[in-house]
Amino acid sequence: MITRRDFIAAASALAFTPNVKAFAATGPGAAPGPFLVSIFLRGGMDALALIAPIDDRDYIAARAVELRLLGDGDRPALRLEGGPKGHDFRIHAEAAPLLDLYRSHRLAFVHAAGIVNGTRSHFGAQELAERGLTNPEESSRIQGGWMARWLAAAGAAERPAFAATSSVPEALNAHLDTICAPDVRFGLGLPGGKQAFDVLTRVYHEGRGPIQQAGLRALDGIELIDGRLRQADGKVPPYVPAQGASYEETEIGRSLQSVARVVRMDLGIRAFAIDMGGWDTHENQPGRFAALIGQLARGLTAFHLDLRDRLQHMVVVVMTEFGRRLRSNKSNGTDHGHGGVMLVSAPKIAGGRVHGSWPGLHAAALDNGVDLAVTTDLRNVLAELMVGPLATPAARASVFPQLQSRPVGLLKEA
Amino acid sequence: MIEIDPRLLLAKLAFGPTARDLEEITRAGTDRWVDEQLRPTDDDCAARIASARWRLKYRVPNPAFSGAAPHAAPQFLEVDEDRPIAVAGPIEEQWRVVADNRPGPERTFFRQAVSVATLLRAVHSRWRLRELLVDFWHNHFNVNAVGDALVAVSLPSYDRDVIRTHALGNFRAFLEAVAGSAAMQVYLNNRSSRGGAANENYGRELFELHTMGRPAYLNALYSRWRDVPGAAQGKPQGYIDQDVYEAARAFTGWTIEDGSGLGGGRKLPITGKPTYVEMWHDNYQKRVLATEFDPYQPAMADGRKVLDLVADHPATARYVCGKLCKRLVSDNPTPGLVEATGKIWTEHRRKPRQIAEVVAAIVRSEEFRRSRGAKVKRPLELVASFARATGIALSVTPGLLNELDASGQRLFGWGPPTGHPDDAAYWLSSHAVHRRWSLLLGLADNAWATGLPGIAETVAAEPTAGRAMITAHQALFGSGPDQPTASAVLGGMGLNPTDGFARRKDASALSRRLLAYCGMLPSFQTR
Repeated sequence: MITRRDFIAAASALAFTPNVKAFAATGPGAAPGPFLVSIFLRGGMDALALIAPIDDRDYIAARAVELRLLGDGDRPALRLEGGPKGHDFRIHAEAAPLLDLYRSHRLAFVHAAGIVNGTRSHFGAQELAERGLTNPEESSRIQGGWMARWLAAAGAAERPAFAATSSVPEALNAHLDTICAPDVRFGLGLPGGKQAFDVLTRVYHEGRGPIQQAGLRALDGIELIDGRLRQADGKVPPYVPAQGASYEETEIGRSLQSVARVVRMDLGIRAFAIDMGGWDTHENQPGRFAALIGQLARGLTAFHLDLRDRLQHMVVVVMTEFGRRLRSNKSNGTDHGHGGVMLVSAPKIAGGRVHGSWPGLHAAALDNGVDLAVTTDLRNVLAELMVGPLATPAARASVFPQLQSRPVGLLKEA
Repeated sequence: MIEIDPRLLLAKLAFGPTARDLEEITRAGTDRWVDEQLRPTDDDCAARIASARWRLKYRVPNPAFSGAAPHAAPQFLEVDEDRPIAVAGPIEEQWRVVADNRPGPERTFFRQAVSVATLLRAVHSRWRLRELLVDFWHNHFNVNAVGDALVAVSLPSYDRDVIRTHALGNFRAFLEAVAGSAAMQVYLNNRSSRGGAANENYGRELFELHTMGRPAYLNALYSRWRDVPGAAQGKPQGYIDQDVYEAARAFTGWTIEDGSGLGGGRKLPITGKPTYVEMWHDNYQKRVLATEFDPYQPAMADGRKVLDLVADHPATARYVCGKLCKRLVSDNPTPGLVEATGKIWTEHRRKPRQIAEVVAAIVRSEEFRRSRGAKVKRPLELVASFARATGIALSVTPGLLNELDASGQRLFGWGPPTGHPDDAAYWLSSHAVHRRWSLLLGLADNAWATGLPGIAETVAAEPTAGRAMITAHQALFGSGPDQPTASAVLGGMGLNPTDGFARRKDASALSRRLLAYCGMLPSFQTR
């Protein structure tokens, strides 16, 4: 079993000797395997502004006209095949770029999905979602984040994970080494150059205590990734996405670009995490939501185009801590809700459909009488991905030990 | 009263020691020093702040430009000046940029102005314990001046009239100042909240973040108010969503003079001053924390009653004292310390110096005395302590503020209302560590025109590399390095301790690097 330091050392060696054969079947440079890209939409993405039954009486009554999807007007919502039966489900016009992926059965949605606990606190809900817990009381019994546990179950505990964020997301809490870099366009080098690197390597070599550990991790990241970004002249060339794909200058555009670039380094990293903020639309929702959905849709499209040659290994899941209130408020926005919508993009799934069990929007069907209910535990979505495209069926039991397993229907019948 | 180690006090509470501070504390005695720090008498940095400048340069299309002769209005509005960062006058003076529809950079300038003043005070003020607490409260009552230009315009008044005025004062008074402030009204959307469908944003964060805290959110256990333990006696142990909804209703009508329409062609003036619009208030009866509110109460009475209830709640004492202990002592203060602190909080809850008394109790605790190095410095603390130790006067430039933003400490620009995290894990991610190192290297090298370290000359004049290392280390730590540390730093620089130093052509550059590397040592990362 390789240790983390072996992994880093071997990967760094490969940076300078590209013809060295792979040192282990699962080390860097080896045949690629499935990898996971998790995108967390922070703030509570309004599911009912993304995909909703536009002909539903309760939907129409509860939402101001600017805050609901419409079938007509100057930007009508788009028809969505594969939605729950019995209503006209449509998708926000700004999500149009995703429809190619959807119709080619690569992308699926899961509606009325989320955490089972009814907390409306961002931080409480994010923690439960990212740690994969049913209730906060479990947190002392089940350690770390769900992605960290998955990596351990997948035999990748010693490998670094990569987060295009400035701090380690809770989902990767307790994973041994997560390299955090929101932006790799300027490399991960130090202003002091080689001299600084040499001093720091000597100062931080022992690795005892949290500060020393943190220093070592930072140096690992520099060694592993910066070396591969720089040319011989020390400059970091601009990233050229494949297939003419183009990333926007937005938080999500930059993050996806960073992840794509690190994916292409073939370091054997199995898990990538991205954050996208701004979804907490209590006020002036229409314009803000449209902008965010557009950015997300165009970003994901560019990402899939750029990494087209690796789609057979790539699993993308997009989730949020909760959806938002059915009834809009008087600030032209919505408050915290419960049921949300997830996006899943993976090979060999039942794409082109809106999965989940639609509970309806009449008063008796709403959670607390006010919010879209949760009928699919988000962990069951993640569990199906582990069984199917992530090829780690045994992981489910250790990643979600308390989960009452229920099939979602994402895996295609054989 | 037992004396506390002066170095410990200065490291933990005052952005790090300088030789002068140590003299002062030794003369006064630590006990008196703490008392004095908790009774700051003036703004001793006024002169320094008055002379500080910010290069404001912009060129934007002039909305008044019509294109038609005789071109009375210029096509572009152009400014290129060294503007004083000192902002004086009440909020309506800053809000002139809103009333007169001045360009965006005139609004965002206020965030930079307050950031510059904050950094200067952290380095130079005599009252640095107050500065530490001001930083704490700015995070506890977080607003985002980067996300919304109106928050930026309101920031000088928020900093001066709300945060600084109450930082060592009474919490209940603090809450009301925050609730009415333009910065918070804009940031948490209360000014657009109306009876009939109140906006819950402020109401929720009031409970969850400002007062009782998430541990008191009992929504997972109880969905009816009367089921919450203690509710039948009017003393519920915690809050549920219904309390949030009712509090939101209570605060409808609390707003600011932002030019909003009042119907019939009337409008509020544009001054940023707190005000109340009866017409927007949900007047009907309410129930918050098992307390009945009668309908048709006088102006603002409902909101004030909510503030009374949350300020007095035992969960608030626990939550806020827990955060204060975490800021001042360690990431995991003992329940005993938090409880003892909570008692002081509750005892003084009607007193004008409630917070000062609480801080004094924390500082005098045994646990504080033994908490050397227990907290990881946030980037603001790292910059201030490095500047103080190495004698950088600190010109706060755009380069420095950008670097500080990139390090994760976005002064007055943190997005979520939780404020900057106060956990070691957050500030020790590989990205955060990487950025700290960049920050120190840049400061030492004057990469952002912030000023050269005063001590660098002394280091450069040392005859040998070994002595240079000792002098650099002493500036930051008060003592020389141990053998392994000296070997690691000098070895990495390709130097032997006996190598000549002062005569080298690159002695100045090397001495700045030595200071930076000492700043990057593990023990300088903590306080």
